[in-house]
Amino acid sequence: MDIIQINYRDSRPKAPPPENVELKFSERAVRELEQLLTHYPDKKSAMLPALWIAQREYGGWLPSNAIAEVAVRLDRSYAEVEGVATFYTMYHPGHPVGKHLIEVCTCLTCSVCGAYRIADYLKQKLGVDYGETTEDGMFTLEEVECLDACDRAPVLQVGDQYIGPVTREDVDKLLERLRNTAEPTSVKLADEIVQTQLHASDQEKVRKG
Amino acid sequence: MGSAAEQKLVKITVNGTEVEVPEGELIVESVKRLGLEIPIFCYHPRMKPVGMCRMCLVEVGFKQADGSVRMMPKPQAGCTLPASENLVVVTDSESIHRDRKGVLEFLLANHPLDCPICDRGGECPLQNNTIFYGPSTSRFIEVKRHLPKAVPLSEYVTLDLERCIQCGRCVRFTEEISGDSQLAFRFRGAEMQPSTFELTDFTSKFSGNVIEVCPVGALTSSKYRFRSRPWDLETKASICTECGNGCNVWLDYRSGKLVRINGRTNELVNEEWTCDRGKFGQEYIDSPERLDRVLLRKADALHESSWPEAMDAIAARFVESGDSSAMLVGPRATNEDLYLAREIVTKTFGSRNLDHRWTKNLPNNPEATAVHSRIADFETARAILIFGNDLSDEQPILYLRVRKAWSQFNVPVVVISDRATSADAFAEAVVRYAPGEEVEILTSLSGMVRGGGGSEDLKRASEILRGGFLLAASSSVFNSASGEATAVALRDLCASAGTPDGYNLFALGANEQGARDLGILPTEGGKDTKRILEACASGEVKSLWLLHCDPFSLYHDRGLVERALENVEFLVVQDILATEATLFASAVLPSCSHAEYEGTYTNIERRVQRVPRILPPKGSARPPWQVFCDLRLAATGAMPFFGPSEVMEAIAKEHSQFAGVSYSGLAGEGCVLASADSALASAGIEGGGG
Ligand code: SF4
Ligand code: FES
Ligand code: FES
Repeated sequence: MDIIQINYRDSRPKAPPPENVELKFSERAVRELEQLLTHYPDKKSAMLPALWIAQREYGGWLPSNAIAEVAVRLDRSYAEVEGVATFYTMYHPGHPVGKHLIEVCTCLTCSVCGAYRIADYLKQKLGVDYGETTEDGMFTLEEVECLDACDRAPVLQVGDQYIGPVTREDVDKLLERLRNTAEPTSVKLADEIVQTQLHASDQEKVRKG
Repeated sequence: MGSAAEQKLVKITVNGTEVEVPEGELIVESVKRLGLEIPIFCYHPRMKPVGMCRMCLVEVGFKQADGSVRMMPKPQAGCTLPASENLVVVTDSESIHRDRKGVLEFLLANHPLDCPICDRGGECPLQNNTIFYGPSTSRFIEVKRHLPKAVPLSEYVTLDLERCIQCGRCVRFTEEISGDSQLAFRFRGAEMQPSTFELTDFTSKFSGNVIEVCPVGALTSSKYRFRSRPWDLETKASICTECGNGCNVWLDYRSGKLVRINGRTNELVNEEWTCDRGKFGQEYIDSPERLDRVLLRKADALHESSWPEAMDAIAARFVESGDSSAMLVGPRATNEDLYLAREIVTKTFGSRNLDHRWTKNLPNNPEATAVHSRIADFETARAILIFGNDLSDEQPILYLRVRKAWSQFNVPVVVISDRATSADAFAEAVVRYAPGEEVEILTSLSGMVRGGGGSEDLKRASEILRGGFLLAASSSVFNSASGEATAVALRDLCASAGTPDGYNLFALGANEQGARDLGILPTEGGKDTKRILEACASGEVKSLWLLHCDPFSLYHDRGLVERALENVEFLVVQDILATEATLFASAVLPSCSHAEYEGTYTNIERRVQRVPRILPPKGSARPPWQVFCDLRLAATGAMPFFGPSEVMEAIAKEHSQFAGVSYSGLAGEGCVLASADSALASAGIEGGGG
């Protein structure tokens, strides 16, 4: 009967049972999630902000444990959380991103204004292609659609900042500045998004514990 | 869906014909009342509509006060459109035909069109809709997208990503029906793909259903892949004998071999679902372990023999042994087998030693194994109590029904168990006990149901159960030390909630309920399973007959079984597969699997269902009832029955619950037996059909 796939049964990994998932959220993260849960009628609704917390806690990306942790904390299935995390482009499941994520807009306006030349320059300077991370783990380059800042085309996004219009010199300066920034902008962005979700009163409670 | 009587009716117009339908009914369903059909992909009558595929587009308008019709500018999805007063629907206009062609053209742009090598080819909704409603040629000349074509999601399910049309049926099945949510869509847009979490093992107990639910050949059965084309298969209606639920299935076979099992709709039993154990667990029918020859022990070895020789030898031994002979029966024998088994043991052999129960403790009180509810009753229950083991393991399809009761009809569920169970996820109250504490817990719960008070976790449970409930427990209750007392406590609990008729101690085996009803129990003064085994060990019982059972796998005390089988003088093993017990046999009688002989089975709700002979028996295997007839002939010269339907006539005459049951009346949904007390009123028979 098993002519087609022989004995693949044992080779297929099993998802860990919920009780075996390592819960790595910091105390602060746990308190933030607690506050967020008060905003919604059910736990499922808090999935997007919970993923942002996870992305911050896990260093700017979502390894499988992060997804499993969110699932466990929200009482959902792993698959469902993974589905949400892979749907939105600003979450980074599966692969780690560098300390700084450089997103190049190559949509209509930007491309007309030379986005591809900027992108090529970035690729050459960093020695990576789209979706790749430099060996030192510093930069990840990503191509994105319209950033809604066509007036500043060609535009780059790094963390919570838009930079544009950019020239090659600006790129040099930017990379220099980022190299000297200790705080990973990819983590900072995640944190900022979490904070915007929390009301002032929530933040108060998170601080007090 | 709720009964139409209490719903408001509205008048809608479909293709110019006026029709009255319940308000809010989906248009895909309404048009069926006129014998029309709207093509669909993502819509499934048992799941919530999502409107994802747009195949069901219809033109919509409203009748105005002056009688004119104002049409909406754009078509709408018929699967998400509820019927309302004065709605006008057009399913057959030129623009709808164009829309359907467009939708199909889009779907096919990303579809590999590999129908000639696809398992689904020939029974594929995508193929059918394309033939009926689609464009006859393609304008797509670009290179098709290419994706992995055989992703093994589990031992049973293989996913072909190229063929998926992203309808979401499989994902919704795991969310809404089985409740484990193990499948979800990853990524988005054209890249969207259904999958488990990081392609880990799809461990759902109901995974096989997604194969049937998928409207294309994306989810395929790993066992059936490339083994046949649908048009080469023959199919017959059968039932599953893996547990007592008696799910209705289609048994697809080819050249005398079972090829696959599909769910068959029976709203009262399994709706259309199957569990994996039933769908994939029937390979034993063609297993090399099948017994296919009559064997007799001569000196120290088993030698091939013939039926007449074996019959003579066995008849002589058992008749001579008389009351020191015994028979033990397994869960997979038809009512006809059981009836005749009891006849020959009690009448031909003149023995009182007969039993079908294999639990550690054996209930003495027949009330302990009573069953009052039907499977479908759980949907309308006030509350449901699941007691004992994990229901999703013991009676998977009953578990789906309980889950449906909770998810669709808001029936609160209480779980009282000594372990974590699947139903905990949606239970309103979960009470855990340590083995041995069950009676105590149940008694205090009864007290609380009557008078309140008590500890926290029980309080919630008692509040839910107070107004009455249906119980789902199984005969595995008797595996605990306090078996009988637990059953009494459960009965008490049902009574104190005011619903003594909510008590159900369901059978586990395929025809365990049949054995209960036909009295496969020791007669006055006879020995039960435990004492039969003990008596075999001590030499008091000289001849033992094992009908479709392997005591080694069914009974908890291995040592006792070993001593019994070793010491009994003459052992007959009549079974489908070679088992450990075969090694001890004096005579081995090869038996037919349920697909190889006609007979009836009684399921947990006491529904008698008829199974036809579908496959040829293996080797010289014969159905047990026939063997018993021959034995009677050899021993007493009694006239044999010509067929199982005649045996049923005899059963109907003798057992009042079976009054009125006959093979001709058993077509279709089968019939539910009258309860033991109202037995004489044969009015309990329903369904029938044929
Ligand atoms: S695999 Fe089948 S059921 Fe699942 S989304 Fe794709 S086409 Fe639909
Ligand atoms: S095209 Fe780049 S911001 Fe709009
Ligand atoms: S069937 Fe209506 S949109 Fe799919």
